[in-house]
Amino acid sequence: MLVKIRSEIGNEKHLLKGESARLVELLGEHGVDENTIFDIRISFEEVLRNAMLHGNKESKHKKVKIETEITDECVTISVEDEGEGFDIRKIPDPTCEENLLKEGGRGVFLVQNLMDEVEYLNGGRKVVMKKAF
Amino acid sequence: MQIDMREEADITVCRIKGDVDINSSPNVRKFFENIIKEKKKKVVVDFSEVNYVDSSGLATLVEILKKMRVYGGKLKMANLSERVLGLFEITKLDKLFDIVNGEAVKNFE
Repeated sequence: MLVKIRSEIGNEKHLLKGESARLVELLGEHGVDENTIFDIRISFEEVLRNAMLHGNKESKHKKVKIETEITDECVTISVEDEGEGFDIRKIPDPTCEENLLKEGGRGVFLVQNLMDEVEYLNGGRKVVMKKAF
Repeated sequence: MQIDMREEADITVCRIKGDVDINSSPNVRKFFENIIKEKKKKVVVDFSEVNYVDSSGLATLVEILKKMRVYGGKLKMANLSERVLGLFEITKLDKLFDIVNGEAVKNFE
């Protein structure tokens, strides 16, 4: 079965949780196991939060576009903000000894480790990530 | 998210119930501000009822650890679920935090 969802949301935190809850529900309905849903949920919320906070800088005039495609084999999620973009290569590795005590920088790292494929497009404004079931 | 606190001799046990994430992190930070203010030396955070932690939650826990270290406080993370422990392992925070299971209070040095 194929499910495709598109949405465009503002930068409010409660909208993030609403989108995430809807995704978790859909994945559950597809019979995806709880550990995989956990990984997808964290990755989705991290990417969405980065888009709202670091991409759109919580501007009332900017939106986040979300596209989700669920098949029997995998989920593909695309999140795009209207910010200035960023260079993924400039994000420091949070697992390096000197960065362990830093408070930030773990979101992108978690996504890269929990999803099977993560691609940054359009100068870092768009993230496309995929995970097999 | 809810945090219950109890004192067992000189050990403070904080049991978190719910998610430690972007929504609850400010409340977690605020709760621990008092513990840090009182310079509690031995603190156990019981995660047995925490099913979800995100990078905001991890950042808040690192912030708490750093502040406790300033006055020589010791922080133990107890009873992490397999999934939450996995996040600590991926981010190598398992090297930074003292992660224990079960009798964290009895085994506090």
